[in-house]
Amino acid sequence: MGRKLFLELENCIGCRSCLAACTQCGGHDQRNRNYVLDVNPFVNRQTMPLMCLHCVNPACARSCPAQAIQIHETGAVLSALVEKCIGCQNCTISCPYGIPKFDVEQNLMYKCDLCIDRTKDDIPPMCASVCPSNTLQWLTEEEIAEKQQQHEMENGKWVTSMPYLESETNVKINLPGILQGKEKLF
Amino acid sequence: MLKDKFFREIENKEHPNEKLIKTHCSYCGMQCGMNLRVDTSSNKIIGVEPRYDWPVTVGKMCPKGVTAYQQTNHKDRILKPLIRDDASKKGTKEGFREATWDEAYDLIVNNFKTLQKEYGKDSLSVFSGVSMTNEKCYLTGKFARVGLQTRYIDYNGRFCMSSAAGGFLRSFGVDRGSTLPWTDVHETDCLFIAGSNTAECHPTSMFRVWEVQNRGGYLIVVDPRETPVARRADIHLDLKPGTDLALANGILHLLIENGYADESFIQNHTNGFEETKELVKEFTPAYTSELTGIDEDKIIRAAEIYGKAPNAIVMFARGAEQQHKGVDNVSGYVNLALVTGKIGRPKAGIATFTGQGNGQGGREHGQKSDLLPGYRKITNPKHVEEICKVWGITPDEMPEPGVSAYEMFELMHNKTIRGLYLLCSNPAVSAPNLNFVREAMKNLDFMVCSDFYLSESAEFADVILPSVTWAEDEGTVTNLEGRIIKINQAQEPIGQSKPDWRMQIELAERLGRGQYFRHLTSAKDIGEEFRLATKGGNADYYGATWDKIDQQDGVFWPCKDEEDTGTPHMFLDKKFYHPDGKAKICALPYRPPAEEPCEEYPLRLTTGRVVYHYLSGNQTRRIPFLKDMCPDPYVEIHPELAKSYDLSHEEEVRLFTRRGEAIFTVKITEAIRKDTVFVPYHFGHEQSINLLTIAALDPMSRMPEYKACAAQIEKLGVKESI
Ligand code: SF4
Ligand code: SF4
Repeated sequence: MGRKLFLELENCIGCRSCLAACTQCGGHDQRNRNYVLDVNPFVNRQTMPLMCLHCVNPACARSCPAQAIQIHETGAVLSALVEKCIGCQNCTISCPYGIPKFDVEQNLMYKCDLCIDRTKDDIPPMCASVCPSNTLQWLTEEEIAEKQQQHEMENGKWVTSMPYLESETNVKINLPGILQGKEKLF
Repeated sequence: MLKDKFFREIENKEHPNEKLIKTHCSYCGMQCGMNLRVDTSSNKIIGVEPRYDWPVTVGKMCPKGVTAYQQTNHKDRILKPLIRDDASKKGTKEGFREATWDEAYDLIVNNFKTLQKEYGKDSLSVFSGVSMTNEKCYLTGKFARVGLQTRYIDYNGRFCMSSAAGGFLRSFGVDRGSTLPWTDVHETDCLFIAGSNTAECHPTSMFRVWEVQNRGGYLIVVDPRETPVARRADIHLDLKPGTDLALANGILHLLIENGYADESFIQNHTNGFEETKELVKEFTPAYTSELTGIDEDKIIRAAEIYGKAPNAIVMFARGAEQQHKGVDNVSGYVNLALVTGKIGRPKAGIATFTGQGNGQGGREHGQKSDLLPGYRKITNPKHVEEICKVWGITPDEMPEPGVSAYEMFELMHNKTIRGLYLLCSNPAVSAPNLNFVREAMKNLDFMVCSDFYLSESAEFADVILPSVTWAEDEGTVTNLEGRIIKINQAQEPIGQSKPDWRMQIELAERLGRGQYFRHLTSAKDIGEEFRLATKGGNADYYGATWDKIDQQDGVFWPCKDEEDTGTPHMFLDKKFYHPDGKAKICALPYRPPAEEPCEEYPLRLTTGRVVYHYLSGNQTRRIPFLKDMCPDPYVEIHPELAKSYDLSHEEEVRLFTRRGEAIFTVKITEAIRKDTVFVPYHFGHEQSINLLTIAALDPMSRMPEYKACAAQIEKLGVKESI
């Protein structure tokens, strides 16, 4: 138990398998819930997934006037409860990454629930299961700590493994640059 | 077996009222493991679940694999045989009516018999493919030669793997696409990847590729475009399309010059070194740079890294192979490993990224115009005799060798070939020089097409037979490692569709050739006969029983008998398959692409794939997610080139060559050479880039030069004279 989603953005190849797989989770209604961005399409083929980071103190849930966004005991910030969501879209606006999506017809917010159906039993979420490049990984706390240590630069200035972005998140991230300062085998 | 650092014991998620069927993806040579989710009340496939326990791909899939299950119960499936009575509608979707199997078979048999009576046995032809099981590939070869008794059979591997095959045969005496298992890839110290857009075409190799760099190893990528794998490479050798051989010779020269040649390996295990050494002397960094357009420094550095690496794997794909010197390119890159002795041990060797799911197995067992099962040659009397015994015919009944895939279309043009039985392929999109090829198909007296969707090629048929998707049949496939794996049936065939092997057995019966086929009543039966037919051949599958495949997570060929567990690593004993046991280092004079840029056609056109589509796109263009992600082709152009033609992003332009033209949307990116334009080839009708490509064939592999020809762009709405 207790694995977490870990993002190593440098690896992304833009295949969007994560999005295709998202629809396969039970309870996801065939709709994908995250984004993959072309970082600088006129210049190179760098891409990156934009996933819900499952904030420890999530802005979306805080901003919801109807308390429709529940937080699971694993830390996963769940999709809006159908019976409570009033369709105000406060959550989308307040999220620093604009993650919650909106179904206009149903007047209902839907977002990544970290495949709670799977992750509650420590089965990796669909995106991290399929990601061919290991951009998305499902790791133990120890494995994440090891990753972060690996990528801290000696001068302490340029670290890819930031403690957190906006605020503390359950999903951990390595920003691009993991190969900088890498000691070569020969 | 071979469980590595990426392998995790994970239980699968099982939903109520569902069962999981273990199988593999229908598409590329990676053959990613997957579980199909089947609803236990409707017995229909409804989704996919990762197969974490498959050692090669540990649950990973690209978006094609994730959505592959949507093919089976797709609304576009052909559910009944279709007949078109009005031949004037050929080349369109119009005029088909539903028919019974009996009516369709009768029509086919009548036409085939009439043609053969009037014009001889060889007036019929079979054009096949390798996106299907070994059992089907094997039976198709037998059906052509014993059922139809024609010499003309060939297959779409000529457009895919034939140059790799030719190069391996020449260099090693045997054609197994990878000398090592994929679980070695991330453990090597240097990957030298040429002409492979790995991240898009074989995405589930990528976690292993990146791991080489994460461990401090090197990644060298050879490609005219900065593809997603080239983006992160330590060295990106951005060559002009069609100049691989110059680069391979140039690097070989530096390896020898700088003392990286392994004298004792060369001495004991190879032939041809001295001659090759002489030939490559000319390829100094300056000359190589002039031919390839790559900076000298980068060539020197790449050779130094490859030379120093304790272990290295040279990998390549269609970029190097789809040229009219594809075989030479392959042998040229193989030379690097042979001269440095970086082969015949774990973590070092050679691999090609096999394109189609069964591109490896399908080319070994008799669908090629000159081959018989087990990689036997139809020109070798002993080989013919061995197969005749299995088939129950006499050697004089064995047809002569035929001609290669593209050459069959030439014979359709001149009416040597008058009838075609097409299966598992869509040459109306995938063949080069399409205006010619489409005309050839139109010119046929009678054409049968077996497919599960109405492909662009089916539009030329008189009869369409509804076949099944991969998930409605079972059998074995040989993945890009040379590992024989098992595809399992997840659902009964829908409508009246049937697997191709069943159609061929039923047709043979009606053609009066039933005695050679009627003992085969299941895919398993065919599998048993097939194993026997391979016994004693180079590609020996005899010991690879379905049980063993299950127990061992696949079996690497050669696998000769019950006790043999297979051969994950080739050449560990440093014995190659030429009669003297030595490998051949090849002296390969450079020649440029068949069509070089000129004043009239100043640009280099190259083609390739995108991650969302597979081959001709007949399957993937129908899958909503994949279609949404890439609905139409486009032409990739460097901003400087675009500027010189006054083009802007998303503007439509006319792209043309000596053979054809098409309109494409401009996609501007710096991630391509300034003298080169790129178009993906997955699209049909007037969107096919193969209307423009050249049919210059490799003299050995008969592979067309898809990867390089001369082209010109015209801004639309502006007269050429301006
Ligand atoms: S599946 Fe992985 S590599 Fe592909 S787009 Fe998503 S994060 Fe990137
Ligand atoms: S297309 Fe190839 S890489 Fe993608 S899931 Fe299928 S077998 Fe794997």
